[in-house]
Amino acid sequence: MGKLISVVAFWGGTNALVKVCCRPEGWLLYKEALRYNLAQYKGGTFVALSSSRNWYAPTMRKSPRFAVCLLPLLLTGVLAGKAWADDFSEVAQLSREGKFVEALAKADVYLSSRPKDAQMRLLKGLVQRDAGKPTDAINTFARMNEDFPELPEPYNNLGVIYADQNQLDKARTAFEMALRTNPSYSTAHENLADVYGRLSSAAYNKALQIDLSTAAVAPKLALVRQIITLNPTKLSAAQLAALPKVQPATQVAIAATKASPETAPKAAPLPEPAVRPTREPATAARKPADDNSPTTAKSATTKAAPTPPTDTTANREVEQAVQRWVTAWGDKDLKAYFAAYGQDFDPAGKQSRNAWEEERRARIEGKANISIQLTDLQTLVRGNTALVKFRQNYRANGIAISSRKTLEMVRQGDNWKIVREAVGE
Amino acid sequence: MSDFLHSRASQPLISPKRWHSGRRAIAYLGLALTVVAFTLAHAGTAMAANTTAGLSRADGYSEQRLLEVFALMARGQSREALAKAEKLVQDYPHFQLAQLVYGDLLAARTRPLQTLGDMAPDTARAGAATLADLREETKQRIGNVKERPPEGFIPSQFLKMAPQTRSAIAIDASRSRLYLFENTTNGLQLKADYYVSVGKAGVSKSLEGDQRTPLGVYFISSRLDRKTLTDFYGVGALTLNYPNMLDVRRGKSGSGIWLHGTPPNQFARAPHSTDGCLVLSNPDIRTLIETTTVRNTPVVVASQLVWKSPKQLEDPAKSFAATLESWRTAKSSGDLKKTLAFYTPDFSSYGKSLDQFTPMLKAEMKATKGRNVELKDVSYFQWSDSAETMVVSFGEVSAGKRTGMHKRQYWVRSSNEWKIFFEGVH
Repeated sequence: MGKLISVVAFWGGTNALVKVCCRPEGWLLYKEALRYNLAQYKGGTFVALSSSRNWYAPTMRKSPRFAVCLLPLLLTGVLAGKAWADDFSEVAQLSREGKFVEALAKADVYLSSRPKDAQMRLLKGLVQRDAGKPTDAINTFARMNEDFPELPEPYNNLGVIYADQNQLDKARTAFEMALRTNPSYSTAHENLADVYGRLSSAAYNKALQIDLSTAAVAPKLALVRQIITLNPTKLSAAQLAALPKVQPATQVAIAATKASPETAPKAAPLPEPAVRPTREPATAARKPADDNSPTTAKSATTKAAPTPPTDTTANREVEQAVQRWVTAWGDKDLKAYFAAYGQDFDPAGKQSRNAWEEERRARIEGKANISIQLTDLQTLVRGNTALVKFRQNYRANGIAISSRKTLEMVRQGDNWKIVREAVGE
Repeated sequence: MSDFLHSRASQPLISPKRWHSGRRAIAYLGLALTVVAFTLAHAGTAMAANTTAGLSRADGYSEQRLLEVFALMARGQSREALAKAEKLVQDYPHFQLAQLVYGDLLAARTRPLQTLGDMAPDTARAGAATLADLREETKQRIGNVKERPPEGFIPSQFLKMAPQTRSAIAIDASRSRLYLFENTTNGLQLKADYYVSVGKAGVSKSLEGDQRTPLGVYFISSRLDRKTLTDFYGVGALTLNYPNMLDVRRGKSGSGIWLHGTPPNQFARAPHSTDGCLVLSNPDIRTLIETTTVRNTPVVVASQLVWKSPKQLEDPAKSFAATLESWRTAKSSGDLKKTLAFYTPDFSSYGKSLDQFTPMLKAEMKATKGRNVELKDVSYFQWSDSAETMVVSFGEVSAGKRTGMHKRQYWVRSSNEWKIFFEGVH
C-alpha cells in the first residue's frame, strides 16, 4: 500500500448511447439522444430521469410511444447541453476558488429543476466534501446510491469520504458496492486495495496491541468527479464481435515509453483511464447484437457482417496512425497528440473540444512519466472509416492500468484521425 | 461478487490467485493445510460434545471459528476466509490472533502472503514480542487439532473417580491445553478442551513469585465470583489448593494459583504469560465454573499428559485398591499398631506429627468400637515425578452410621510399599 491514487476528472459529461426498450422483440438505439443526466437504466429498462420540460419518464416506461416521445427531448437535450456544461464548470470553478456557498447554491438552483441529475448531484457531493461538510457529502452520495444503484461513482466517492473519516469498514463496503455495479472499475479497485491495506494495518495493530499511527501514511484515495457514459462508442457490439472472425487480426504491439523526471508531479497524480469500461447491463446481455448506433454502425449491421475488408495498405496506415498517437502520448508531445484527433473528434461527455484539450494537457503534463503499450491490436477498415481495438497497458507515476480501448478513425486526406475514443469493448 | 474476483485476476494490484503461488507462501499454507483434515472432523465432535454435555454455548467456539478460517485459507478460499475472519473479529474484537489472521487476509487481497502476521517490518519490530507470542499461540492451537488424544483415552493420573464427582480437569502445559471431562457411568468422557495460558517462566512452581505454574494433582478449592474480583480476572475464577500436601512436604512456597478469565480488552493470553495462574478466555472459564464443583473436581496439571485407555489403568487401580483395602481392614480391626504401620515416620497432618496424630487415630478407632469402617465415594489420582504418590479422597463411615467424615490422604510409594504421609479431613 501507500500508493497515491488520484482523481479522474472529466468536467462536462459524456454522451450516452441510449438503449430504449420499446417493444419486447427489439431495441431502438439512439445515439446522443439523451444526456446521461436525463436518462439512465433502471431495472434493465431505460428511463428518462428529468428534463427541462418536466418530462418524467417512469410512467412512460415500456410505452410504445416512448421512442417518439424522445425526439423533442433529444433536441432539447442537445441544445441544452452547452448551457449545462457551463453550469457544471461554473460550480466546479466556484468550488476551486473556495466559494463553496455559492457553488452549492448554484448546484441547488440547477438541481431544483433537475433533481435527478446524477452529474450535478455528484458534483454537489464533491463540493460539500471540499467545503468540509463530509456528513452532507455522505448524505448526497448515499441518496445517489438509492436513486442510481447502478452507478459506481457515488459508491466510490462515498467510500473515499468514509476512508477520510477512518471508517474503513464502511469505506470497504462502499468500494465493493462500486465494484459490484462495475467489476472492472479500476478507481474503485485501487481505492479498495488501499482500504484493504489500511484495514490490514489496523488489524495488525490490534493484534499486536500497538498504536502505530497509520493516518500519517494513509494514501489519498481517488474521488471520481464525473459520471462516465454507459457506452461512449459509436461501434455496434455486432460489429465488434464480428471483428476477429472477419479479419485475421493484425496483431501489433505498439509501445510508447517516456520518462521525464523534470515535471513536478501534481498533488494528486491522475490515473489515466478517465472513462471506465463499459458496463454490461443485464438487458444488454440479453440482446447484445442489437446494440447499435444510428450513424455509421447502422448500415454496417444491417448489411450484415461478412464483408471482410482486405485493404492491408489501409490497415497499415491506420496502425501507423495509432502508433503515432501512442508515441506522442508517451512522449508528452501534445501537439502531435492532439493532431492525432480529427477536427470532428467528439470528446466523451459534454465537453467541448477546448475543454477536452485543456484537460488532456493538464493530465498528460502532470505525469512524470507515461508508458503505454498496446497489445491485441485489431484493425477493421471499411472505406474511409476504421475501427481499432486493443488492450492499453498504461503506466504513469507508479500507477498501472490495463484496459480495453476502441478507436474509431476516419481518413482525412492521407491521414487517419481519431474521431471517437472509447474504453471497453 | 464472484465476477469481481474473476475480473481481478487480470488486475495487477489485487490477485487472490497468488495465494497459490510463491514458495514462501507454502510456509503459511503448510501451517494451515494440516488443519484442514483435522478441523472438520474435530469441529463435528466438539460440537456434538458440547451439546451432549449441555455446554451448547460459545465456549471453545471462537477457536473453532479461527481454525475454520485457517482451513479455508488452506483451501485457497481466501474470500470466504476473510468473511469469516471479519465476523470473528467483530464478535471478539480483542482476540488478537484472530486480528492477526484477519490482517493477513486483508493484506492477501492486495499481495501474496509469506508468513503468519505478514506485516510491514516496522510494525513487526514494534510488536516483535507479541508477534512471536501470537505465532506460538497459533502453533499451540493448531497443534491441538493435529494431534488429538486417542479416542476414549484418559490421562494416566485418573485411576479412580468417585461417581459423585461429576467432572475432572487435566492440563497439558506443553500443549497449552485444558481438557474437561465428564464422569459418566461409562467412565471419564472428554467433553471439551480449551487453549490455556501458563506461567511466564513455564511450569514446576516451587517458590513464591517464580512465575511458574505448579505441577501436580489439585482440587478446586473455591469459586470466585466476578463481582468480588477486578476486571483482570475476567468473568470469574476457580482457585486451586496449591500448595497441596505433597508441595508442602517438599517445601514449596507461593499461593493463589487460580484458573481465571481475561480482562475485557483481552480475549486470550499468550501461551506463557501468567504469574503461575492458568488463564482461559472468558467463555471457557465460564463453562468451567458452571460444570465443576468445589472440593471435588480434580485439576491435574502436567507438563505433558500421558494418555491411557481405561483398560490400561485397570491394573494399577486394582493394585492400589488392594492397598487401600488393607489399610481399611487394619483400621476396622482396631489394631492400632498394625494401622500405624501404614503411616510414614515423617507423617504430618495440618502441622501435627505422627506422634501428635496417633491419639486422634486411636480415638477414632475407639469410637468405631470394632465396627467395620466403610469408605464411600473413593477417588484416587496418581502423581509420579521423582516420587510415586497417590492422592486419595473418600468418606469414612462406620458401619451402621449414616454420616462420616470426608477425608483426604496422600500416599507415597517407598521400597514397593505405599505409605500415608498426610491424612486429614477436608
